[in-house]
Amino acid sequence: MSSTVIPFGPQHPVLPEPLHIKLIMEDEKIVDAVPAIGYVHRGLEKLTETKEFTQNVFVVERVCGICSVMHAMAYCQGIEELMNIEISDRAKFLRVIWAELHRIHSHLLWLGLLADAFGFESLFMQVWRDREKVMDIMEETAGARVVISANTIGGTRRDLNKEQMDKILVVVDEIKHDLEQVEAVFLNNYTVKHRLVGRGVLSKADAIELCAVGPMARASGIPMDLRTTGYAAYGQLDFEPVTHNDGDNYARTYVRLHEVYQSIDLIKQAIAKIPEGEHVVPVKGNPPKGEVISRVEQPRGEVLYYLRSNGTKNLERLRLRTPTFQNIPSLLKMLPGSELADVPMLILTIDPCISCTER
Amino acid sequence: MIENLVEITTDQLLGEVSKAKIEGYRFVTASCADNGDDTIDIIYHFDKDYKMRNYKVTVKKGEEVPSISKIIFSAILVENEMKELFGLNITGIVIDYGGHMLLSEEELGSPFLRKQITIEQRGGKKE
Repeated sequence: MSSTVIPFGPQHPVLPEPLHIKLIMEDEKIVDAVPAIGYVHRGLEKLTETKEFTQNVFVVERVCGICSVMHAMAYCQGIEELMNIEISDRAKFLRVIWAELHRIHSHLLWLGLLADAFGFESLFMQVWRDREKVMDIMEETAGARVVISANTIGGTRRDLNKEQMDKILVVVDEIKHDLEQVEAVFLNNYTVKHRLVGRGVLSKADAIELCAVGPMARASGIPMDLRTTGYAAYGQLDFEPVTHNDGDNYARTYVRLHEVYQSIDLIKQAIAKIPEGEHVVPVKGNPPKGEVISRVEQPRGEVLYYLRSNGTKNLERLRLRTPTFQNIPSLLKMLPGSELADVPMLILTIDPCISCTER
Repeated sequence: MIENLVEITTDQLLGEVSKAKIEGYRFVTASCADNGDDTIDIIYHFDKDYKMRNYKVTVKKGEEVPSISKIIFSAILVENEMKELFGLNITGIVIDYGGHMLLSEEELGSPFLRKQITIEQRGGKKE
């Protein structure tokens, strides 16, 4: 049978960002796929070499809006390790609270996009209405909705007072209540399950072979979550990675939806346990000559920062590897054998962040 | 300050990567840094149960570096990226974009290098 090449993207209704995939088709089946990226590459890694190490916090936050807190957190943790800075326990808990709020808004954003992609407009709006509540908290606590600049080297730029924490508790309870109302549509609706169950399967063996990370890996039965290593205050909180064994679109939806509940629980634990104290310690001097690796768990999975200092105020090298960058090979494994009509949903369920991927 | 950092040569690279994979290590990524002289450091990061193992290979600019993508397919993007941004001459990448995954046809330099080298030196074609 002769093959046909169908270009998918870079502009497509399910893609908020430009990703191009060349689909090699035989009839309705995909037999091969070749990705093309590079439409929004900004060279931010190179930019960091021209900025002072303290200014880079603001640069790395702009790698991606959806997980900006975690980018800054990973970078700050790396610099703090390099400079041997011990941040306060309160700062560690504050970082967890803002990071989990970010995870909630990222997963709610994705759930809304998923609902929109399978044509459930009302569901999309209900989910995003709850996401707005998180964005409002961001604005109230940090002064901005997306890139909130909560982290700084040595701790956090702001503190949370009791009223703010009480409000967060009320809002996350509302989100939990609202999500429970729509959970059945995502997980039990006949039409939705028809689009998700058994589609885009990534087996556990393939996920290991292709080094998948984040919800992609956890939905294929790999309980890998860097938060369990205990960075920031995660070591003082009680949780288990959310996993599913089927590795399909449905499993990835299940994992992300339940991770919203998990984040709500982590925020409640963190607010219950947060100690009194300073939220930032003073930082003096430049990072000493050396190199360090820092990793945290973003909404899409593991992010790695490699930092190399030459003892001056400018880093010699800042390299970061984002989760979507790591999950694209898994996508290339899932596409062959799928039908063309399933491609949008399949690509969406890896929760691609091209802004992160291209940096 | 990087845990489990092992310095190896390009001749040892494929053997060490195969060994790490057999031992159950997951490929995390590779990082690249220009040393400012005539050499570039490539660090291959692996993880097993949240413990990292890192292999550092120091290569001369323009020197041939074998691709690890035949052993670890997920290395394709990072190897193409390093090839373009740092001008590394990585050979045998399973999906090789020929120096144009990120860079346009008109871009002949290697933007992340401190001193530029041309596209022919990084193993691509000047069209």
